[in-house]
Amino acid sequence: MSTHSHDPHAPVQEPDGTDEFEILELAVRELAIEKGVFSAEDHRRFSEWAESRTPMYGSKLVAKAWLDPAFKERLLADGTEASKEVGVNWLDPTGTGTPSDYTYFYVLENTPQVHNVIVCTLCSCYPRPVLGMSPDWYRTPNYRRRMVRQPRQVLAEFGLFLPADVEIRVHDSNQKSRFMVMPMRPAGTEGWTEEQLAAIVTRDTMIGVALPQPGWTAAEAPPRSGVAHQSAEITGGGK
Amino acid sequence: MSSETPYTVLMDTLEAIGERDDTDLPSLERVRTPWESRMQATCECLSWRGALDTLERRQAEDLLGETVYRRFPVHTRSALAVAHALMNKGVFTESELRSKMAELRIRFGED
Repeated sequence: MSTHSHDPHAPVQEPDGTDEFEILELAVRELAIEKGVFSAEDHRRFSEWAESRTPMYGSKLVAKAWLDPAFKERLLADGTEASKEVGVNWLDPTGTGTPSDYTYFYVLENTPQVHNVIVCTLCSCYPRPVLGMSPDWYRTPNYRRRMVRQPRQVLAEFGLFLPADVEIRVHDSNQKSRFMVMPMRPAGTEGWTEEQLAAIVTRDTMIGVALPQPGWTAAEAPPRSGVAHQSAEITGGGK
Repeated sequence: MSSETPYTVLMDTLEAIGERDDTDLPSLERVRTPWESRMQATCECLSWRGALDTLERRQAEDLLGETVYRRFPVHTRSALAVAHALMNKGVFTESELRSKMAELRIRFGED
């Protein structure tokens, strides 16, 4: 990402007007409850669940798979079932998932020859149980329409330049299937613990618009000097 | 009123939130504010209880967010589309929403 200024995890100044939208959100919610559309308890349950979802679960799945070949095999064979090993039950919070989330979860393994990316062209399906809420850009028609037609161009906008001989596979999520990318373990992480590895498996690397790099976590970007071009990472990626 | 005519009560929030200023996809990256996850939970409740299906809501976000509410920041689309759709469906009226927002401003001590 050295030639592009985008840092996918840099805090951006919050816009003005949040208070007015807090009021709008609460007004819509209270009116719906007053009209008997749903209950405050319904809302509390879904809020509690949504706020408990973060990319940490996906990071843990990937790091664990990097270190444990047997788990990796289970994860690739049945992502929904293997998720339970890191405490994620895709049937939460209702017993049948959320109204927009269930049912099948597939983990897509990147290789030196194949790079995977996820999208939802129809709406904005996203593996929320393991990645949390989707970023704004993921939900835009701009990303959804262009990623399937011009994936290299869109990835370049995120600062990810893949060699021409790397095939890009774009996976279109839908009501029944959710996907997540398992990036390749980068070189320079030999001997790392699961916790250390999970820290570099950021949200964007599991969407497929970035590659994990040693020293680059969701909380802290790498120093400006000495950052490798990401195309070098995929050709020199670890196992 | 056409189903795609913007509601004044919603357009009135534009000045407070400010016009969208993203120039490309990466510039849409931002820190999420707490009301957004509460809004998401409201969306789940509406779909769970059959009042506004998730796919219908997402299509409304696309349709309205790219047209009548296109000047708003992308992250406000759920709130705008849900409010718009519920008023279109007659779940509550524009007058009721305006009154409720005024009541809440007083409750929040902002008036």
